[in-house]
Amino acid sequence: MFEGLRMLGESYLGFMNFWSLAYGLGGALLGIIVGVLPGLSATLCIALLTTLTIKLAPNDAILILICSYVGAIYGGSRTAILLNIPGTAANAASCADGFALARKGEAGRAIGIATSGAFTGTLFGVLCLAMFTPALAELALSFGAFEFFWLALFGVAMSGSIVGEDPLKGWLMGLLGLLVAQIGQEGLYAYDRFTFGWDELSGGIALIPALIGAFGFAEVLTSLADPIERKLIDMRDSVLPRFREVARYWRTVLRSGVIGVVTGILPGVGEDSGAWMSYAAAKAASPERDQFGKGSIDGLMAAETGDMSAIPGGIIPALALGIPGSAPSAVLMAAMIIHGIQPGPMLMIKTPHFIYDVVAMTTLATLSILFFGLFLVRPLMLVLRVRRSVLMPIIFVLCTVGAYAIASRLFDVYAMLAIGVGAFFLRRRGYEMAPFVLGLVLGDLLDKSLRRGLVLSDGSLAPFFTRPLCAVLAAVTILTMLMYIPAVNVRVRRAWSEAKRFMFQRSA
Amino acid sequence: VTTTSTNTDLEAAEAQADAAALERRTSPRSDLRQALGWIALGIVTAIGALRMDRLEQQDINPYTAPGLLPGLLGGVIVFFGLLMFYRSWRRLSGSPQVLRARTAVDRTEARRIGTVLALCIGFAAGLVGHGLPFWLATAVFVSGTIAILQFTERTARNQRLRGFAFALAVGLGTGVATTFVFQELFLVHLP
Repeated sequence: MFEGLRMLGESYLGFMNFWSLAYGLGGALLGIIVGVLPGLSATLCIALLTTLTIKLAPNDAILILICSYVGAIYGGSRTAILLNIPGTAANAASCADGFALARKGEAGRAIGIATSGAFTGTLFGVLCLAMFTPALAELALSFGAFEFFWLALFGVAMSGSIVGEDPLKGWLMGLLGLLVAQIGQEGLYAYDRFTFGWDELSGGIALIPALIGAFGFAEVLTSLADPIERKLIDMRDSVLPRFREVARYWRTVLRSGVIGVVTGILPGVGEDSGAWMSYAAAKAASPERDQFGKGSIDGLMAAETGDMSAIPGGIIPALALGIPGSAPSAVLMAAMIIHGIQPGPMLMIKTPHFIYDVVAMTTLATLSILFFGLFLVRPLMLVLRVRRSVLMPIIFVLCTVGAYAIASRLFDVYAMLAIGVGAFFLRRRGYEMAPFVLGLVLGDLLDKSLRRGLVLSDGSLAPFFTRPLCAVLAAVTILTMLMYIPAVNVRVRRAWSEAKRFMFQRSA
Repeated sequence: VTTTSTNTDLEAAEAQADAAALERRTSPRSDLRQALGWIALGIVTAIGALRMDRLEQQDINPYTAPGLLPGLLGGVIVFFGLLMFYRSWRRLSGSPQVLRARTAVDRTEARRIGTVLALCIGFAAGLVGHGLPFWLATAVFVSGTIAILQFTERTARNQRLRGFAFALAVGLGTGVATTFVFQELFLVHLP
């Protein structure tokens, strides 16, 4: 424990220099700007900045990426409040109460509450990141191919179930991501799969260009296809953070912090679910629940604390297991690999200090958003006044550069275009991109774990279901999918309520 | 009075656009077609996986054959595709879908999608990496896109020339700034 505290102290001291502070503030500022712009996501921001920071030292690059991640999710709340359009998917839950407050002439107050909720939520998440990552990494050392197979499948299945309106479409997107990840040379025998004799495909579809296509190009098309320019609400009151309200709603803040971290840790679930679950829990517990959706401080605080605490929560499994908690943390993980840091159980053995470096980076990101929340709210709102027809072509240029620069291959630009066009049409038909990303990231792990597991068990499927963690993950994954079938859903709910009645009768 | 009517028009247009988006996302007829697409993809994947070399001559463990997971994925995609087909078929047979009539907003949107797709693909696949300096390709693309997308609005305001000048300034600025920041400042190789 003292060794951990010593490393944490060293990490904090390591970032107390001019350049680290400048990189942190710069990353957070860029993140806020991207987050403020409707549709541009944290995933896109991290993917584009991975390209820009490719020549920097690993710690500097990861610092910028983490700060931009935190900044983007925080920045998205402003668009939700002022435009009733979530800046990122994670801010959708903030729209109802944030926009209602803005319509009452309290836009500044809503932004102040969002800042204080975001700051407190992220700080709570950082605390959990520091405490649980080393413990989870140590536990993960005992995991084998069977456990990793289920963890990967669980992540894709959960992401498909929770993100979006239709689980069936979510699962299909997850499967599509897993399938795209199989393109190219496979990891055991370097056999070319689905390359059709095309050399460029042997290396597979690179993650960053694919993500830039799915989140960047698709968003450029979506945004420019919409002929309607939405109206911005003016802000007249003070935008200073309201920490008195954090103290007043401490129960909501604590509850949402815990929910956010837990949803972050669950592979594939992410910040948007953290916000919605926190919002639902606050609504169920709040004495002012009738005000929810009409400008409730409690509701806005819950949504903002929930999504922000899910950020460090999502980084925990990415570092400890090599399985990202959300789409942006998947890109962050890919960036770490590009910079020579291999996330996963061995991280704690090979480079234990890196986990504490990430804790220090996330703390710096939290302080950065507070700084911008205190001093730069109004100037940053000017970015919302830039017309889409001016902004989006520039964003597309950045997408092209971002796709090309990682490997200097034009093929990656074409892959970005193909995936972007596909993602645009799929999104219009209700398919979400987060399960696709999870599938793309976890496809290789799933493939290797399945085949290694089968070799270890000599072809028997039994260990995939009988080892304790496997049994739990298999049960949850299969039950989650079966619950989609109405007949099963009704029977499970009936059995659950009967079991509860039986338990209460017995205890009475 | 003008402001109120403008706001009402905007809200009506937003509501119309939202209704169209909802229909696109949930239409059983469209889901039925998509289900057929998924089933076809699953079958093609499974066939591709079955035809993959099992590497028997290398004496590898048969459980590590490269086509194992792709084959399973193909099978599961077919299963979910069939589930989607069954669901949308049941919805359609329960209450035949009344299709929403195409509006002027839909037609404008379709035109914009076509234009933007052509411009973006033209830039990334045509202009970039084929000998033209990156800053110039960027300037041409950004200027052209802004000028085209704002053309109707600028024409209505009798600001066509001003619109072109603005588009050119933004395009040149973007080309030079992107090249400077990526290539000179962050040493990133540009196409």
